[in-house]
Amino acid sequence: MSASNKPISIVIAAMGGEGGGVLTDWLVEAANAEGLAVQSTSVPGVAQRTGATTYYIEIFPVPLAQLNGAAPILALAPSVGDVDLVVATELMEAARTVSRGYATPERTRLIASTHRVYAIDEKAAMGDGRADSEALRRTIEAGTHARLLFDMEQAAKQAGCIVNSVLLGAIAGSGVLPIPAETFEAGITAAGKAVDSNLRGFRAGLAAARGEVPAPAAAPHKRPHAESAAALPLVARAHAELPEPAQAMAAEGVRRLVAYQDQRYAALYLERLGLIWTAERDTGGDGTLTRNVARHLAVRMSFEDVIRVAQLKTDPARFDRIRAEAGAAAGQPVVVTDFLKPGIEEVCSLLPGIVARPILALARRRGWIDRVHVGRKVTSSGAAGFATLWLMARLKGWRRHGHRFGEEQRAIELWLESIRRALGCSVELAVEVAECARLVKGYGETWRRGEGNFRRIHQAVIVPAVTGLWPPAFALDAIVNARAAALADPEGRGLERTLEAMAKRAT
Amino acid sequence: MAERSFHHEIQSLRLGDGQTFRGEGILAVTKALLQSGISYVGGYQGAPVSHLMDVLVEAEDLLSELGIHIEACTNEAGAAAMLGASIAYPIRGAVTWKSVVGTNVASDALSNLASPGVIGGAMIIIGEDYGDGASVIQERSHAFAMKSSIWLLDPRPNLPSIVAMVEKGFELSEASNSPVMLDLRIKACHVTGSFVTSDNRPAAARSGPAAFDYGRLSHPPSTFAHEIAKAEDRMPRARRFIAEHRLNELFDGDLAEIGIVVQGGLYNSLMRALMRVGLADALGNSRVPVYCLNVTYPLVPEEVVAFCTSRRAVLMVEEGCPDYIEQALGQILRKAGLPTGLFGKGCLPQAGEYTSDVLVEGLAAFLEQVGPAGFDPVHARKVADEIAGRRKAAAGLLEAELPGRQPGFCTGCPERPVFAALKLAQKEVGATHVSADIGCHSFGTLPPFSMGNSILGFGMSLASAAAVGPHIGRRPVAVMGDGGFWHNGAITGVAGTLYNRGDGVLVILQNGYTSATGQQFMPSSIAEGRRPETPMNIEATLKVMGVKWLRTVRSYSVGAMKSALAEAMAGTGKGLRVIIADGECQLARQRRVKVEDSAKLKAGERVVRVRYGVDDEICSGDHSCIRLSGCPSLTIKPNPDPLRDDPVASVINSCVGCGLCGEVAHAAVLCPSFWRAEVIQNPNRLDLWLESWRRRVRTWLSGRVAA
Repeated sequence: MSASNKPISIVIAAMGGEGGGVLTDWLVEAANAEGLAVQSTSVPGVAQRTGATTYYIEIFPVPLAQLNGAAPILALAPSVGDVDLVVATELMEAARTVSRGYATPERTRLIASTHRVYAIDEKAAMGDGRADSEALRRTIEAGTHARLLFDMEQAAKQAGCIVNSVLLGAIAGSGVLPIPAETFEAGITAAGKAVDSNLRGFRAGLAAARGEVPAPAAAPHKRPHAESAAALPLVARAHAELPEPAQAMAAEGVRRLVAYQDQRYAALYLERLGLIWTAERDTGGDGTLTRNVARHLAVRMSFEDVIRVAQLKTDPARFDRIRAEAGAAAGQPVVVTDFLKPGIEEVCSLLPGIVARPILALARRRGWIDRVHVGRKVTSSGAAGFATLWLMARLKGWRRHGHRFGEEQRAIELWLESIRRALGCSVELAVEVAECARLVKGYGETWRRGEGNFRRIHQAVIVPAVTGLWPPAFALDAIVNARAAALADPEGRGLERTLEAMAKRAT
Repeated sequence: MAERSFHHEIQSLRLGDGQTFRGEGILAVTKALLQSGISYVGGYQGAPVSHLMDVLVEAEDLLSELGIHIEACTNEAGAAAMLGASIAYPIRGAVTWKSVVGTNVASDALSNLASPGVIGGAMIIIGEDYGDGASVIQERSHAFAMKSSIWLLDPRPNLPSIVAMVEKGFELSEASNSPVMLDLRIKACHVTGSFVTSDNRPAAARSGPAAFDYGRLSHPPSTFAHEIAKAEDRMPRARRFIAEHRLNELFDGDLAEIGIVVQGGLYNSLMRALMRVGLADALGNSRVPVYCLNVTYPLVPEEVVAFCTSRRAVLMVEEGCPDYIEQALGQILRKAGLPTGLFGKGCLPQAGEYTSDVLVEGLAAFLEQVGPAGFDPVHARKVADEIAGRRKAAAGLLEAELPGRQPGFCTGCPERPVFAALKLAQKEVGATHVSADIGCHSFGTLPPFSMGNSILGFGMSLASAAAVGPHIGRRPVAVMGDGGFWHNGAITGVAGTLYNRGDGVLVILQNGYTSATGQQFMPSSIAEGRRPETPMNIEATLKVMGVKWLRTVRSYSVGAMKSALAEAMAGTGKGLRVIIADGECQLARQRRVKVEDSAKLKAGERVVRVRYGVDDEICSGDHSCIRLSGCPSLTIKPNPDPLRDDPVASVINSCVGCGLCGEVAHAAVLCPSFWRAEVIQNPNRLDLWLESWRRRVRTWLSGRVAA
């Protein structure tokens, strides 16, 4: 039978609350208006909440009037390799639909927004669990005949609507349907809901389909540390003493640490880096290692304590950021509340070790660590609240005498030492050892978990690896695997298993 | 009022002779009921038939004009029992629910209904929640029809056919004095289309009470007579009616030596499959003769024999297992002594949804084995292999497995914090058995909570834990919604546990609606707009029943909820402990609050908008908060720190300010990066003065920092 006598099939992959149902209705109404046989189905079920929802539409290209009484039999579900148009409100759902085989490289056109709505597994990962958008794009490219991909959420924001009307415009402009754009516009107007914004969105999509694809908003997401007079000389020193690849990072590190503590502390940072660079250079490294260490060392040296938190919470720029994020209009007061809950450890971290150690030992024995906290909700935009935090931030001078400061420095030296020793084997190994610093981050329990994991990996993997007890390749894998395992689950079962397996294989 | 407003649909329910109805399948059924002159209607909500009740509950004026009585039943048993009216009175009635689960709940009443039979048309519209998108156990309602002699209608999935079968169904019911079931699959309920309407018919005129007739009671010895009547009288009358009114359809084709018998509901998928292998066109002209069963029980042996005589082989296309129809077909052919070969399961898979892809493969297998003159099976095989190859190739395009996109709690859902608290409480007093239930809260079994050791049915969580406690030696926790509580949890669970001196914890999530099915009202709903009389109160009910340990905790107070749970789980003493987690369904709340707030804003009144956020410099990218929340508006974004790469937590604009982020950060002692911002719209003088004073203090101090 000729292609013109086959129904045009459209799959719409959406998620709860993205207006996929409305988009479907718009398409059905338009087809009705054109006197075409049309049928749509959906499978919302519980997915009407936040899960993926699929809508399926079939439109018969020959007007009913010309079928002398016959009615096309339209399907209620898409078939593999038998879909003309795939529409997706988000990039991963687009790739998912393609991977199900509905799309074909010979026939299917795909229209999708390139923005990401992360799945729970991507969000809940302890490190970076995001799917690789480039890989998703490659899947889509390979599985479809033609594509229109751009950030429709951005376009929708600008139009003041949600993504569905932008998609409708893109569909109207795709030429897949024998329906003029005017008919869709008429439909939006007739529906009578948010007409203007929907029409703006529709036209944005239509224009994109006709070649005027809006350029991706390339706002750099990194926020460099503010330059400060105190940091300048040390930044200069970083450029003078360190290899090119490491300089930018080191400069950031210096600025961070001057603000975090003082010039002396930042200088210590540079000395530590210097030693790493000397060692790397001697083993013929190009500064890659030094660059990585510059990154992690600055983060480790600016460990999160109540003072650091107070510094950041009282940063003048912060309140502007909050106003913007909360969408407060000019003249609208914004009251900001922060949730602080320092525990015994946080308090002790500021006391001298001689005082702190016995208290902590007792607290651990009695299991107070997890239970005893000074829960406080601080109105940090208020005079009293802000002043409190401001005073806390002033304590940074005292930090050096605190118990935690010493502990951290010891831990850092230990880490740096094993990096240097790893260099004895290979630069690659040293880089992997340096990367392990990623594990130590956060506050309270999160920090304890990370710090504990690091210590276990140090003893069980890093030490034997850098002392050359293991063959280089095995040592390298061991560290990479252990790090991945530590980030696999918060309960540490993954790390447990990996370390056991490793111990077996090592012997 | 339910989640969706059906104002527009209600208008189309008023359409009269010769007008055109456009809309969803399930709403077409609703219109068809009105055209059939029903006197009463009832049901229990559940996908995919919720809309039937939702729209009728909203259409109260129309119903009262027509004199139709409507009941939003508290469970399917109640709905089925409503049909009892048609046993003694010649009035038509219809009830609806989700099947197979709802039919299970209703089956006691159904047996007692079908035994005496009816004198007024009685119809059960069952949403067959089967296949893609289904949320319940995959079983067939067909078995209930067979065991109780209830006739099963399975119309072709297009509006005119569905409407015709509703109208004919009532006639069939009356012609055979038996209740009928109209079986609609999920996609048929949501399918859109149009049909030509006719005027609505008013309910039957009132009558006095029926005379006593022991023969109409499902009580011995009447029951023995009923059984005989079913087999020897009602069934034959039903078959005659089905044949005379051509309820089943015959579509002839030129490949006369073969044929296909198909359930009406699968007709479109079959036609698409035939089209793909080149045996049909898009307008329904098939080269293979098709016998379409719009009534799948009972079969009409004469029709079957007529269709199969002179054919070398037939293919039975029957979805789900076991293959009841195929078995019946075989028996009919055998008894008729026909040599016709019977194919079905075997060419087609034993279980699972029959999509057109599956059917293409089945057709290819059938045609290869039969090899009909005039068509080369190679064509069919080629298409089938292409599908298989395409599926494989497409799956191969993925460079890494994609994370699933399961449904989850809505933004600001009051049930999420309860599971966060339960997670924290178990960390404190040790893990225990969690018996889950049906409802939105079953999302607690999915990431990030992944809690629940069993789901035994709606309102069954507490009952299903009865034997667990003694076995694991600690108190199990049963989670139940208020919907489940009224559906049957109050009796099966609470009464049962109290009566047996059980020891356990019951958490009742009181959000005021049956939310998963679209926020219908239920006995303890207190939202405005529902029927005026004071709602039933769960707390009071439990007290009266004799629950001693009873706490009502605000759902969002994670800390308080956590300690209440810990105490209930590990506290000394024995007996049932009930915690009522109180928090209105956020979807419903937002719908109300949005309207109120925008009205206030227009009127220039002071409105405080609450929004939560994360300090991206303080967040260390560990995402514990997400593992304890999973809120759609709590997500991640690239790390702005030039020295860090792991993405940081971020709250997006869909945040409704429920406060869980802060509560969790506080209760779990996660990290200090969450902030709460109150944006004061239309501020008053005091607000403005305070703001300026606060800003002055901040700038002054910050100035000193710089210095």
